[in-house]
Order: sequence, then structure tokens, then C-alpha cells
Amino acid sequence: MRIPLVASLAWQDYRDDGWLSACSVLALVAVIAPLLVLFGLKFGLVSSLTERLENDPATREIIPLGGGRFSHAFVEQLAQRSDVAFAIPRTRQIAATAQVGALTLEMLPTAPGDPLLSGLPVPAGLDQIVLSHTAAEKLAARPGDWLQTRFARQVAGRVEAQGTRLQVLAVLPLEAFARDGLFAGLSLLEAAEDYRDGRAVLALGWPGDAAGEGAQRVYPAFRLYARSLSDVEPLRVHFAAQNLLVSTQALSIAQVQSLSRNLSIVFWIIAGLALAGAFAAIFAGALAAVARKRRELSVLRLLGFSTGALLLFVTLQALYGAGFAALLSAGLYGLAEAGLNRLFVQVPGEYASHLLVRHYALALVAVLGVSAVAAACGGWRVARIQACEGIRDV
Amino acid sequence: MLNLSAVHKSRGVGSQRYSLVIPGLHLCAGEQLAIVGPSGCGKSTLLDLLALVLAPDQVGRFEFNQLDIEGLWRANQQSTLAGLRSRHLGYVLQTGGLLGFLDVRSNIALPRQLLGLKDDGSVARLAAQLQISDQLAKKPGALSVGQRQRVSCARALAHAPQLLLADEPTASLDPLNAERVMQALLAQAREHRAACVIATHDEPLARASGLQVRRISCQRDSDGGVTATLGEAC
Repeated sequence: MRIPLVASLAWQDYRDDGWLSACSVLALVAVIAPLLVLFGLKFGLVSSLTERLENDPATREIIPLGGGRFSHAFVEQLAQRSDVAFAIPRTRQIAATAQVGALTLEMLPTAPGDPLLSGLPVPAGLDQIVLSHTAAEKLAARPGDWLQTRFARQVAGRVEAQGTRLQVLAVLPLEAFARDGLFAGLSLLEAAEDYRDGRAVLALGWPGDAAGEGAQRVYPAFRLYARSLSDVEPLRVHFAAQNLLVSTQALSIAQVQSLSRNLSIVFWIIAGLALAGAFAAIFAGALAAVARKRRELSVLRLLGFSTGALLLFVTLQALYGAGFAALLSAGLYGLAEAGLNRLFVQVPGEYASHLLVRHYALALVAVLGVSAVAAACGGWRVARIQACEGIRDV
Repeated sequence: MLNLSAVHKSRGVGSQRYSLVIPGLHLCAGEQLAIVGPSGCGKSTLLDLLALVLAPDQVGRFEFNQLDIEGLWRANQQSTLAGLRSRHLGYVLQTGGLLGFLDVRSNIALPRQLLGLKDDGSVARLAAQLQISDQLAKKPGALSVGQRQRVSCARALAHAPQLLLADEPTASLDPLNAERVMQALLAQAREHRAACVIATHDEPLARASGLQVRRISCQRDSDGGVTATLGEAC
């Protein structure tokens, strides 16, 4: 079989049949282009929502509810898990406050790898902090400023206080943390807790009782972030198995995931129906083409073309149409995508409608595949064309 | 090259039956033969049998180049038959049988392309000899009937086949054109030493062209069917 010769003959006949060919291309475009737009919307919407969730570390946060008793080693072990991005113990909330001027700030422990501080310098030692956006606004503090900070305690009904100077390393963006707070190394929080428990803090020169020898510090809570959205639910289950109640954003993650799943189902139902219709149309088109080109096909057979070559002739013409339809549909989708994104998108980097290269490739392969199979089924009748039949019809 | 004896082909049954009987047909390279008879007598059926596109019913002997054609049909070796057609046969159809979507040049070159033969100038040469050189770039639809017929002759000869079959090649032409096309066709066939079998109802033209003439005669049988028999040279 001379494939290039058959391809060239099929192409010349296809071109000669211009109007009919164009109509079949448009019929296919009417199927493919809306599917691309629908899938683009689904993919763009879901990936934007997912990205939004993924970019917001708060979604991946797992917060232990109620007071617990955790050792440093336990939290350290959690941090080593592959599905945990970051974990650090928290001191008692009531002891984790700091007074700067008239403002009482919530203190949060941090360490390298803290997703809230991504891209910012991480405070170390006892004199560095990162301020939340609202706190920095109220204090009019900027990175590099030194803040005089007070820690107060009541001992036997008497109020005592100690102070230290803390340097602002950076200010968090508002979307990372919306309350008044400061992020500091765990040692500063432990110092504040020790002081409020009446113990001395030697490193800061704060007076009090001597620290108990070898006493294991017990933490009531921890800050923990799952590595990815899909790790949140398994972690929740893991904690639940240990009788540890946690609060997660699993619900909002599940909502996006079920939206994605349901939209996928809708899409595939529509795609299935549309492709079945396209298959039927191409099948009928191939049948009609074999009937219409009976004379030409029988002349080709008389000249010595094989059945396979004639089948290829019919199938290739369907593939030419499918190729053009795919190109045209991609172009129309491109226009629709630009329009939809202009209409719906406010945040740069997010899309209302979006397709990846592999989606285009998949669409192309699907269209070519369906066309080839449908045309081959419809064109199978060429096998029955006898050279002696059609050649007298002229 | 071509050797047939006792070949039968029937269509239909009862009073609708039509049978063709070829008691014997022997053709050597370069031999030129005309089959004459009224229209409907079975000339086309005979040509289709020779063109390897119609399977015979009963065969005493059917050899082409010492190949047993009957055996190929029985084994349904369609691709072998197609291969023989493309290599060794040229067929001129009554109304041209040209492909409307190809221009004249591509129509003539098609049998050569199918065999993977390089263009050795034979397309242009044949076109010149058949006086259609200035039509090469046109589509067949733009040609007169006579021109189309000559294009068809050129296509049948382009790959230098051993056997040239022509089915009423001049039937749709006026007498002047008919003679010119017939002469051109036979001259080309002679030049290529191709054997010719030409079906025509125009016996005077066949004789004037120097062809050996064999008639097909029809007779009605007792069952109401028709049997056509290829007669001896006359």
C-alpha cells in the first residue's frame, strides 16, 4: 500500500469537495469547541479554588482542641512525619502574651519552615520577633525597630513585671495573620511562661524560683500544618485515633474537591453524549462518502488499489476534517478563554477558564481517534465495492 | 500471455439469466484483437473477466502470464489480483473513468505512482502523442469527451502494461474523432508491444484499424435466458 500516494489522493479529493468538507468540519467544531470551553471553565475554576486553598496555609492548619499534655519529643516526632510540613509546641495561651505600650499582643512560637512566615526572616534567640500586620500598624513599627516589651505576673496578689527589648525583624502580610500578634522563637515564649509561673529566667536576668531540675516541660497545644491539602484528612483521622480532638479546614477542602468531582461528572456526561453524536455523524458521513464516491473508488480499485488503501482513503478524509476541526475549535476556545478570563478574573494569576497543553493534546487525540474509528466503521463498505460495478456508471 | 478455454460467467436465473461462454481465447504479446457485437451482448463482461475484476463461474483454463487466475479467485486473493491489475493491465473505459478531483497530468501519472515508478517523461510523451499536452493542468471536467477519452488512453498506457483493454473507447465520439482516438490508441499500444483487446460495436472501424475481429453472438435458450458465445476470428 502506498500510504503517501493514498494520503495525497485523499487530500486532493477532500479539497475538491471543499464545501462538503467545510460543513463536516463545522459540524465537528460545534461539538468540540463547547466541550473545550466547558472543560476550560471547570478546570480553571477548580484549579483557581484549589490554588487559593493551597496558597493559604491556614487551610492546612490542624489545631488541637481542648488542653493536651504534649512533650517536646512528641511534637518533634509529628514534625518528622512526611505528611506534616511544620509542627512546633505552644506554651499556655494565658502565659503567651506580651505588652508593648498599651497593646497586649498574642505570642506565637515560630521556627524555620513556618508556612505563615514564608519568605520572611525567621526570628531567633530571645530578642527577635516578627509582628503581625495589625500589630505593626497600631504600634507604627517597622522592620528594624526595637520595641520595649513588658511581661507582667501576679505573685501572692502582688503585680510584678519585667521588660526586654525586642527587635522587629519583619511584618507579616495581613492575609497571613489577621489578629494582633507577634511571632518569636519558642525560647522567648518559654521564658514568658516560666516567669509567669514564678520561676527565674536566667538568660534575661528575671528573678524567681529556681527551675525544677530535670522537669519535663509539658505543652498544652501545638501549631501544625499538613504538607498538602490531601494530607489534612488523614492527619485528622490519625489524631482522632489517638483520642485527640482537632479542628481542621477539611470541610472547605472537601467542598472544593466534591465540586471538582461533580463538575467532572457533568463534563464527562456531556462529553460522552457529544462524542457519541460526533461518532454517529462521522459514521454517517463516511457511509455517504462511500456511496457518493462509489465511481471514483471503483476506478481506484480497477487501477489496482487494495481494499486497505481504499479504507485508508476514506479514513484519512475523516482525519483531515477532524484535524481542521480540532485546530479551529482550539482557536475558538482561545477567544472564549480570553473573554471569560477578562469577565470573571480579579486576582492576577488566577483563571476562570484555563487549559494545559496536555488537555489540548488529549482533545486532539480523542477527536482524531473517534473520527478514525467512526470513518473506518462507516467506510468498511468499500470492501464490498467491486471494480466492475461503479466504472460503468459514468 | 493470455490463455483461456471453456470460461463461463452467468448472471441472474431463469428468463433473467445471462451467460457468457468463451470457448477459447489465446493472446500473445503485441496481438491486437477487436471484440464486436451489439450492445448488451456481453463485451463488457468479457473485458471485466480479462481485467481480473470479475470472477468467472466455470473455468477450463484461465492463465495470465502462466498464472492460474481461477485459483486466485477461488482463494479470494484480492490483493494479488489488484497487484496484477496495477502492474500488467491498462483499461480504457467507455466514458473515460477519470478521477474528477485530479488534474489530467495526475490522472495519467496515477498508475505509475501506484507502482512507485519515477516520472521518466512518459506522461508528457503520451500526452504529446495523444495531442492533449495543453490540457495537462486542467481537471477532466473541463475537457471535451474526445479529450477525456484520449486522457483515458494515456492513463491506460502510462505504466507500459502488457495487456491493454478498451471498452467502446470511441462510442461517445463522432466518427472523425473516433478514428483519430482509435489510431492513436493502437499506435501507442504497438509502440509498447502491448496486447490489445478492444470491445466495440463499430466493426468497420475495427477492420479499418487493422484489428483481428471476433464476434460475440447471442442466442435465447429454452429456459428464456440468453447465452452469448465468443466466436472465432472472422
